[in-house]
Amino acid sequence: MDLNYPISRRESLKRIAQVSASLAGAALGISPLLSQSSGLASAASKRFVIEGIGAKDDYKVKELTRMVFEAAGGMGQFVSKGDIVAIKPNISWARRPDLAATTNPEVLEAVIELCLDAGAKKVRIADHTIHDARRCFALTGVGTVAKRTGAELIFPRSSLMKRMKLHGHRLDVWPVFVPLVEADKLLNVPVAKVHSVSTLTLGMKNWIGAVGGRRSALHQDIHQSIVDLARFFNPSLTLIDATRIMITNGPSGGSPSDVAAKHTLILSNNQVAADAKAAGLFGYDPGEIGFIRLGQKWGLGTYDPKKLIEQRMIL
Amino acid sequence: MRAKHLVWIRRTSQAVFLGLFLVLLVMSRLPEDVYLQYSVVFSSDADLRLDQPVTFFFQLDPLIWLSSLVSGHRLIHGFWWALGLLLVTLFLGRAFCGFICPLGTIHHIVGWVKPALKGDRMTKANQKTPGNRVKYFLLITLLVGAIIGLNIAGLIDPISLLFRSMALAVLPAAGIGLKETFDMMAASDIKVLNYLSYGGEALVSPVFGYGYPAYKTAWLIGLIFLVILFLNRIRPRFWCRILCPLGALLGIFSRFSILRLEKDHAKCTECSLCAKGCQGAASPMPSQAWENAECVLCFNCFDVCPEDALSFSFRWSPKLNKKPDMGRRAVLGGLVAGISLPLFARLDFSAHHVSDPRLIRPPGALPEEDFLRLCQRCGLCMKACPTNVINPTLAEAGMAGFWTPHLIMTQGYCEYTCTLCGSLCSTGAITEISAKEKLERPIKIGSAYIDRGRCLPWSGNGPCIVCQELCPTSPKAIYLRKEVVPSPTHAPMQVDVPYVDLKRCNGCGICENKCPVRGRPAIRVIAAGESRSIRNQILLTGSVS
Repeated sequence: MDLNYPISRRESLKRIAQVSASLAGAALGISPLLSQSSGLASAASKRFVIEGIGAKDDYKVKELTRMVFEAAGGMGQFVSKGDIVAIKPNISWARRPDLAATTNPEVLEAVIELCLDAGAKKVRIADHTIHDARRCFALTGVGTVAKRTGAELIFPRSSLMKRMKLHGHRLDVWPVFVPLVEADKLLNVPVAKVHSVSTLTLGMKNWIGAVGGRRSALHQDIHQSIVDLARFFNPSLTLIDATRIMITNGPSGGSPSDVAAKHTLILSNNQVAADAKAAGLFGYDPGEIGFIRLGQKWGLGTYDPKKLIEQRMIL
Repeated sequence: MRAKHLVWIRRTSQAVFLGLFLVLLVMSRLPEDVYLQYSVVFSSDADLRLDQPVTFFFQLDPLIWLSSLVSGHRLIHGFWWALGLLLVTLFLGRAFCGFICPLGTIHHIVGWVKPALKGDRMTKANQKTPGNRVKYFLLITLLVGAIIGLNIAGLIDPISLLFRSMALAVLPAAGIGLKETFDMMAASDIKVLNYLSYGGEALVSPVFGYGYPAYKTAWLIGLIFLVILFLNRIRPRFWCRILCPLGALLGIFSRFSILRLEKDHAKCTECSLCAKGCQGAASPMPSQAWENAECVLCFNCFDVCPEDALSFSFRWSPKLNKKPDMGRRAVLGGLVAGISLPLFARLDFSAHHVSDPRLIRPPGALPEEDFLRLCQRCGLCMKACPTNVINPTLAEAGMAGFWTPHLIMTQGYCEYTCTLCGSLCSTGAITEISAKEKLERPIKIGSAYIDRGRCLPWSGNGPCIVCQELCPTSPKAIYLRKEVVPSPTHAPMQVDVPYVDLKRCNGCGICENKCPVRGRPAIRVIAAGESRSIRNQILLTGSVS
């Protein structure tokens, strides 16, 4: 992939401004490194990464989910009363959730419950799946999540794809899945997997499932496309489901031997930081993954531990 | 019972069964509200099935039952309904045609909305003609052909014909028209139109199968359906009188019917109102002999007779009803055609030699010869397929396989754990398999191969490998190697290029479907390697016989 493709001067000035602004913001954010959750709560605007690990044999995924949100100061820090919350899971494949091709439904259920407890008016689950959406929603258990929690399932439809200006470096105008844009708060709840084209698929890569159009052409410049989309969608929170991760044969998997149990959830208000943390689970340095490196370069966030509030919780 | 009541009972019954047919037609697709317990989704590959008895009308159809019995030597699931219908016909005559058949009802409605003719000309048009024998010719052709091995009953069986026409042509055409309107409204900058579009689509998309499927060459099916409807302009229920092979079959069975039209010659004033309203050209006038095999039991004659000269009554009699007027020519012609058509069908060699490379049958389909002996071409598998990959053939399967299902991977792809089509096939031409079987046997429907001249990385046009990403098997049947290929600037370029492992490829076609090279993709699936065929194999494996 060519990182040095030409950009206009105006654009480069804009980028420099963005990068320096975010660096300045990060620099301010790091000074009081807080370890207490109450401190984090007040620092919700600062970049944090919380890693929750279920160490006990019989830990409950839902408890673990609640724990990482509590550590971040509670869902109330991010979701206000009366909000319409859109959740983007990764349920691209009509696969059993234990094959780790899709987001764990129990994580999703806990997140939705927390949103509703925080006073959200409506929670919507939307994904533009690869396999047939009806089969994906049914077989990944997400249909049941919606039924149990009262969340709304938004099926991909052509009338819900609208061409929008992305202002990306690679992607200019592209059809976007509207419900993910027209929401008060956007939460990204992907699953962590290896991916044959982008090495890993984590939070930022999940936005490829939030657009329509000729998605298969995005692979020709995958990392920049991912960063463009991540910048456009810019979620309030990213919660990476690494309870099970796919370690080989990604992103589709299909066999239990493709899966490793990590019992981990990674919550961050910064996409780059979340993905960088999750990359570690696969033994990668964040800089080795193209879209994480580019994400930091273009100012979407950082994986520099000095600029992040990091916390590790064990259940 | 009063005459008026009988006609209204008939109309009510027609409305109910037409409604039921349409409801089951619309329900022949995967619903959106499937909620599986976590314990189910976590434990195994669940098989999604439809809850409604969408094959009911096919089970009720004795022609489908008989043709698959004599041709494929199989008792189809739920054939008791068809057997029951034949028993009813034995006692009541062609009550199915007048009370149940949804195609007959549609003809009836067309003729009622716009009567073909007026006055005396209508009376004349409702007289029996030698043309009525054509249906016996067709029936004999179909059944004799089926015995010898060519089962094309489904081409003109009324239930198959109506389902195919509605599912593949009428519904999709209406749906796509609506969808385009919604898309236009959604693209508008006026917010109200956007919301109307979302709401409208949520409301109507369940009727059209959510994805608005469209089928290759379905225009032909739609055109033929329109022609058949238009025939009602020549005479009422033209199809039922002249062409319908099921009507002919039921007509033959009605010989023993105990429900008879009684004529009172003394009361008749020869007003011929009965003949004017007759739907079957069954000679209701007392001056003629009643053709019970042509009578569809519409009870119009009984209803209109001002002199009460006509009545229907149950009467046991050792004397049988009038023999159906088949005519010797229709019988002999049917025999000749029934014997010769199967021989012509073999000219295609499709069942015996190498089949068309693009003739990819649904997963679970029987070996080609058995498949053709059972497939009714009803289009249910095509209607229900969630990805719209199953389409009707034209020439791919030869004459014997006209309108049978095959998979067009540029339209859709066979989803890895989906086994819906086989669960719906009423004759078992596609056997019901579970996702576990499909994956573990495995059931292959073909093999993928790469066209290196078109492939982006192979041709030096840049990285891509969408095919490898989407390949659903584990390990993937498409694997990558780093190769150095010449780029358009002549500089060597290192890219991941895809290869296919034929042992692992099941021919699902998602690679072909999602390949960025549209129209004629750079990776394509051909039928070779399909597990249902012993001959059509590529690799030398231990189990080849």
